[in-house]
Amino acid sequence: MWETLKKCPRHLLVCEKSSFKSTNSRHSIHVQQHYFNYRVSVLIPECSALPQKLDSIIKDLGSYYLVKDVPLHKLVCEEFITTFLSKGSFYALSYSTRIDQDNAAALLPTGKLIISVDKDTYEELGLEGQSSRYSHKTPMRYVISMDLTASSFAPGGNRYKRVMWALAEKKPLKFDFLMAWNPSDDRRANLISYFSAYQLKEYQPSVAIKTLKDIECPVLQSSDLRATSAESCDAQEFFDWQGVVFNEIESENDSGNFLSTYCCPDPNIVVDQATLCTITGFILPEKIHLLLESLCHYFTEPKLTPWAVLAVHGFADSPVTWREDEHGFHKGGENLYSFVVFRNHDYWLQMAVGANDGCPP
Amino acid sequence: MAVFMDLSIQSVEKKKLESIIETAAHLGYSAVAVNHVANFEKETKKEIAKPLCHEELFEGALPIVQGTTKPVKIVTRLTIVASDPSHCTEMRTTSQRTKLYDVVSVFPKTEKLFHTACLNLDVDLICINVTEKQPFYFKRAAVNAAISRGIYFELVYTPAIRDSTMRRYTISNALALMQSCKGKNIIISSGAEKPLELRGPYDIANLGLLFGLSEAGAKAAVSTNCRAVILHGATRKTAFGVIYTMPRDEQEDKREATAPASKRSRTEAV
Repeated sequence: MWETLKKCPRHLLVCEKSSFKSTNSRHSIHVQQHYFNYRVSVLIPECSALPQKLDSIIKDLGSYYLVKDVPLHKLVCEEFITTFLSKGSFYALSYSTRIDQDNAAALLPTGKLIISVDKDTYEELGLEGQSSRYSHKTPMRYVISMDLTASSFAPGGNRYKRVMWALAEKKPLKFDFLMAWNPSDDRRANLISYFSAYQLKEYQPSVAIKTLKDIECPVLQSSDLRATSAESCDAQEFFDWQGVVFNEIESENDSGNFLSTYCCPDPNIVVDQATLCTITGFILPEKIHLLLESLCHYFTEPKLTPWAVLAVHGFADSPVTWREDEHGFHKGGENLYSFVVFRNHDYWLQMAVGANDGCPP
Repeated sequence: MAVFMDLSIQSVEKKKLESIIETAAHLGYSAVAVNHVANFEKETKKEIAKPLCHEELFEGALPIVQGTTKPVKIVTRLTIVASDPSHCTEMRTTSQRTKLYDVVSVFPKTEKLFHTACLNLDVDLICINVTEKQPFYFKRAAVNAAISRGIYFELVYTPAIRDSTMRRYTISNALALMQSCKGKNIIISSGAEKPLELRGPYDIANLGLLFGLSEAGAKAAVSTNCRAVILHGATRKTAFGVIYTMPRDEQEDKREATAPASKRSRTEAV
C-alpha cells in the first residue's frame, strides 16, 4: 500500500521543438486551438522594460464580458447564429461552474456548443451525448456537443426543434457566461445590445508588469531538449523553473525556509534583471498569437538573452482543452502550454495537462 | 462526478450549527446532513426526537457554496447507536419517527447487530467505529450483502483530528473495512461539532487514499457515494423507488366532493 501512496495523480508534459522559420511549424495551430485562456505570462531576461511592440499589443487586448443568467437556448437560437457565429469567432464559457461537480457549457469559435452535464441533468434534458471519459465505475458526467453551424442544424429542421425544446422547455439551463467576440469584418454586431436584457459587465484583462532583479536563469541549448550534455538544462527542469518564476517562489534554498527547497537547475547564470508581465482575464487565442509573433520579432535585433518565454494557462473549469478534447478536474484542472523562443528562431513548445485529461496534440 | 457532500454534522445548538454549515459551504460542500443521534445503547426507551427544521436555520437565507451561485442544501439524518437487535424495531417497519428523516443510519456496537444491519435493517448507512479498536471482524458475506442492498459504510474523520490514538484506530479500522469491501460503498464524512473540525473535500479525498481507496474511489467517497446515500434515503419513502405519494390539495378535495361519484378523478399515483 505504501507504494501506491508514493504516487501522485498522473500528469502529462509534452515537449517538442521546432523552428518558426520551418514551413510545417504547428505553433499557430496549437495556439489557435486552445480556446479558453485565463492567464498569459511573458518572461524576458536581460530586459528592464517591455519591448514597445509587445506593450502596444498588451494595451489593445480587447474587452470581454460577464453576462449573468443567460438561458442556454439563447446561444442556440437562429438569431444568435446568424448575428454572431457566421460573422467571426465567438467565445463563451460558463462562469462559476465547477467542471467536476456542476453543469458547464462552452461555445467554441468553430461553432460547436459543448455542454458538460451531470447524470441527473442529462437524464432530464433528453439530448444525446457521450459519457465522460473520466468516470469511475458508473458514468456520472455526460458531454453533449452540437455543431451549430452544420447543415443538419438548420433552423426549422428536426434537430434544431429538438434542441430548442430540450433547452427552452424540458430543462431550461441558465449560466453566467464569460463572452468575447472577434468579428471578421468591420460591421460588428454589438454584443452589448444583443444581451441587453441580461446583467452585463465589461472587463479588460488586468496586466501586471514586474522587473525581477538578480535571478538565476538556466542555460538552454535550443537543439537539445533532453540535455544529453551537461552544458544545458533539460526541458522538464526548465518547465519546473518557469513555474517557480511565474509564481514568484523563492529559489534560494535558505536553511530557514520551510516553504520552498527549490534550487535553480544547473547550469545557470545570474541575470541582472528580467521583465515579467502577467495578463489575467478571458484572453483570445488571436491575441496570444500576436504576442507570440511579436516575441519572435524581438530577436530580429541582437539581444543579450538567448531565450524568452511565453506561458499560457487555460481555465481549470473549462470543458475542453485543445480542440474538443475533454477536460476533467481530478484534484487540479491545469492545462497549460509555454513557448520558449530562442534567438535563432527555434522554439520549444511544452504542453502540460493534469490527471483527467487526454494527451495534448 | 457529483457535488461534494458532508453527511455528518452533529446537531448542536442553533448558532454553532449555523457557523458549521457556513464553513462547510465556504469549503465547497454543496450539501450537508445534520445528524441527530439516538443512543439506544445507554438509555433504553428513549424517544427519537423530531428533526430540526432547516428553514429555521439562517432564517431561510442559506449560505452560498463557494465557487457556485447555489445555496447549500441541508438534509436531516438520524443515527441510532445500538448494541442489541431489539433496539432496532424502529428500523424494521416504517416507523413514524424515522420517516421524518432523509437519511437513517445505524451504529452497530456488536457483531450480531452489524450482521443484522447488513442483512435486514432498513437503513442507508452503517457507521464504522473509529474511536476504538474494532471489537469484531467484518465478515465478507455480511459486507457484500449490504453492498448488494445499496447500503453504504461511513467513516468519520474528526476523531482523527482530535487525538493521535484515535488516528491509529481510524486508519486500522478503515483498512480492515477495505479488506472486506474492496473499496466499494464507502463514504467519508466529518462528524464535526465545531467549524474548525471541517476539512475541504479535496483534502478528504486525499485522506481516502490513506484508507486504501483508489484515486477515483476516494473522490467518489465524498461525492458520488454520498449522492447515492441520499437517493437511497429518498427511495425509502417510495414503493420500489418508482412510485411516491404526496398529499393532495385540500381545496381540490372539497371541489371534488360536490361532483357526482362517477365524475370524481381517481387517485393518481405520480
